[in-house]
Amino acid sequence: MIDFGFGVNTARAINMDTNDLDTAREIFDRLPDLQTCIACGSCTATCTAGAITSFNFRKVHTLVRRGEYGEAYAEMSKCMLCGKCRLVCPRGINTRGVVMLIKKKLGDY
Amino acid sequence: MNFNSPFALPFSIGCVVMFAVIAYKYVRWLYIMPDSDKRQIKANIFSRRTWQAVGECVTESLLHRRIFRVNPVLGYMHMSLAFGWFLLIATGFVETVAYMGWTPVPLRGHVFFKYYSREMPHTEMWQMVFTQVMDALLLFVLSGVALAWCKRVYSKMMGMRRTTRHVWGDRIALTALWCIFPARLLAESTTAALWHNGGFLTGTVGSLLASSLSVEALLRMENAVWLFYALALGVFFCAMPFSRYMHIFTEVPLIFLRRWGVTSDDRPKSFDHFQLEACSRCGICIDPCQLQRDAGINNVQGVYFLRDRRYNMLSAEVADTCLMCGRCSERCPVGLDINKLRQNSRYSLHNSPSFRRYDYLRGVDSSVGSGKVGYFAGCMTLLSPRIMLAMEKIFDSAGEQVWWADRNGGVCCGRPLKLAGEIDAAREMMRQNTALFVKHGITTLVTSCPICLKVFREDYNLPGIEILHHSEYIARLLDEGRLKVKCNQTEYTYHDPCELGRGCGVYEPPRQVIQSVGQLLEPEETRNHALCCGSSIANTTISDGAQLRIAESLGRSLEATGAQSIVTACPLCKKAVKRGTKLPVYDLAEVVADNLTAQSPQSE
Ligand code: SF4
Ligand code: SF4
Ligand code: SF4
Ligand code: SF4
Repeated sequence: MIDFGFGVNTARAINMDTNDLDTAREIFDRLPDLQTCIACGSCTATCTAGAITSFNFRKVHTLVRRGEYGEAYAEMSKCMLCGKCRLVCPRGINTRGVVMLIKKKLGDY
Repeated sequence: MNFNSPFALPFSIGCVVMFAVIAYKYVRWLYIMPDSDKRQIKANIFSRRTWQAVGECVTESLLHRRIFRVNPVLGYMHMSLAFGWFLLIATGFVETVAYMGWTPVPLRGHVFFKYYSREMPHTEMWQMVFTQVMDALLLFVLSGVALAWCKRVYSKMMGMRRTTRHVWGDRIALTALWCIFPARLLAESTTAALWHNGGFLTGTVGSLLASSLSVEALLRMENAVWLFYALALGVFFCAMPFSRYMHIFTEVPLIFLRRWGVTSDDRPKSFDHFQLEACSRCGICIDPCQLQRDAGINNVQGVYFLRDRRYNMLSAEVADTCLMCGRCSERCPVGLDINKLRQNSRYSLHNSPSFRRYDYLRGVDSSVGSGKVGYFAGCMTLLSPRIMLAMEKIFDSAGEQVWWADRNGGVCCGRPLKLAGEIDAAREMMRQNTALFVKHGITTLVTSCPICLKVFREDYNLPGIEILHHSEYIARLLDEGRLKVKCNQTEYTYHDPCELGRGCGVYEPPRQVIQSVGQLLEPEETRNHALCCGSSIANTTISDGAQLRIAESLGRSLEATGAQSIVTACPLCKKAVKRGTKLPVYDLAEVVADNLTAQSPQSE
C-alpha cells in the first residue's frame, strides 16, 4: 500500500456495561471532586511533563473514570507532581491526589 | 532493718518491668543504629557537646523551660511534676543515707522510708529539717497534680484551646500517676498519725486523721493505704514504657544523641524511635495547626501522627494529610523534628523505584541566554509570568547577564515528589537539573520559588554554585548599589512563606527589600510563627474548600495590619493568598520592579 504519511484511527468504543468500574468507584469515593471534572483540558495544557513527553493527564484520568485502566499506571508514573494542574483546574480538583490515588490503585494493571 | 513488707511488692514488680523494658528498647535501638550515626557519637562524645546536653537535660527534662515560654502555668505544671518528683527521689535518697549510713538499702526502702523509719527516734534537728523539706516537695508535686486535673477540665487556663485525646493505655498510666501523690500523702499522714513523724503537711493531715479515727482503725488503715500507694506506683511503672510517659526517660538519650549530631533522615532509621517515644503528647502542637483551626481536621497533628506511628497504626491518610508547614515543630517543647519523621513515613508508604519512568527527562534543555548567573523559575513561577517579567526588569536594571534555565518550560525541581515520599523518583529530577546547571557553567543560581530553593540547598550537590532566593539576590543588589529604587509611603505587609522562613531560615532579606521601597507592617503571627497559605505542595489530600478556608484566615490576619497591599516571596503563596483576601497581593520582585528609578545603571 502507498504510504500517504497519515493513518486511520482504529474505531474504539468504551462499553460502560462491560467495563469493570469498581476501581473507578473507589477512586471517586476517596476523591469525590473528580466527578465534577468538565474535561476542559487545562490540566493537560499546563502540564510540566506533558510539555516534554507524550503524557496527557486529562486523557489518563478520563479513561480511568470510564474503567479503562490499561497503561494508566505507567502513564501516571510520568507525572512530576509539580502541582501546576491543580492551580489551573477550574473545578478546584485535587489533581495531585488523583495522580497519587491512580498510581496506588492501579499498580497491578 | 526489715524491708520485707508485702505491700511493697507491686512497686518492686513495677520497677523490674519498667527498667527491663526500657533497657531492652534502648539497647536495641542503639544496636540497630547505622554505622554513620555510631561514628557521629564516637566523634562527639568527649567534647563540649556532652556538657551542653547535660545542661539541656536539666533545663528541659527537669525544669521545662520551653514550656514556660508557651505558657507559665503550663510550664509550672510540667516542672512541678518532673522536677518536684526528681527532688523527692533525690532528697529521699539523701535522707535514707543520713539515717542509715552507707548500708545497702533496697529501692523500696528509699521510696517508702517514712514507713520503714517510723519506729526510729525522730528528735534531732536535721531529722526535722528532712521531714519538713520532704513535705514541702510533696506539696510542690501535689500542686502540679491539681493543675493537671484543672487542665483536663479547663485547658484555656493554660493557654491551650485543645488538649490531646488519649488512647486507653495512656489513660491507665495517667490515672495511676494522678493517684500516686495523693496516695503518698494519705499513706504518710496515716503513719504520721500513729508515730508522730510528720512534717507541716503530713503531720497536719495526720492529726486530723488521729482526731477522727481510733488507733485500731488507723493501724488497720496504715497497711491498706501504703499498699494503695505501692499499687499506684506499680501500675504506673508497668504502663509507663508503653504509654506517653516513656518520654520521661527518652528525652534524656534524645537530647544527648541530638547534641552529638544524630538526626532523622529522609529514610526511616533507628534514631526515629528516640524521637517518637520522646513525645510527651502534651498537645502543644495541636493549637498552632491550621488544619485543626480552619479546616476541622483533628486526627493528623504532630501528636497524633507520632502516636499512630509509634504504635504501628499509621494510616496513609494521617501521614499524607499535612501541610508540612512546620508550625507544630516550631512550638514543640521537646524540639522534635516532626516534618522529617513525616517525610520518612511517606517514604515508607509511597516510594517506588523509579525504573525508567523518567527516561524522557534525559537531555531536556530549553534554556535561553547565557551568563554566570542562572535563573530557575520553577513550575510555580512559570504559572505566574508577572514574577518572571519583574525579574527580567530587575536583571536588566542591574546589568546582569542571565542564563534562563526554564523560561520556556523545564523540569520540576523534584521537591514535590520528595515531599510525597517518592525520593527515588525525585532523584531523577535532581540529576537532570544538576547536569543542566553544570553544563551551562553558572556560578550563581537564583530562584524565586522557595520550594525549589529548599531542595537546591538541601538535596542538590552543586559545588561552586551559590544558591540564592530572589529576595536574597535583590537585597544584595540593593546593598551593592546596583539597583536603585524609590521609597514611597505605601504600607505593605509581608507573608513569610513556610518553605522560605521556617524551611530555609530566610526572614531578613525580604523585609529589608520591602523597607527599601515602602513601609512594612507585621501581622500578629509572623516570622517563625507565620501562618501557612494552605496550598502547600506537601499536601496531596485536603480539598479545595479546606485550602480556601485556610487562605481566608491568613488573609484576615494580613488585612488586620491595615496595610494597603500584601507582599510575599513565593509564587504559590501569592496565588493562594490572593484567593483569601481582597487586598492586592504582589511578589517581592514585582514591588521592586515597579519602584525602579530611571537613574539605575542600564544594561549595556
Ligand atoms: S483542569 Fe480540572 S476540570 Fe479541566 S480536565 Fe483537568 S481535572 Fe478536569
Ligand atoms: S502535577 Fe503532574 S499532571 Fe499535574 S502539571 Fe505537574 S506533571 Fe502535569
Ligand atoms: S510533638 Fe511535641 S508538642 Fe506535640 S505532643 Fe509531642 S512533645 Fe508535645
Ligand atoms: S506541619 Fe503544619 S499542617 Fe502539618 S501537623 Fe504540623 S502544624 Fe499541622
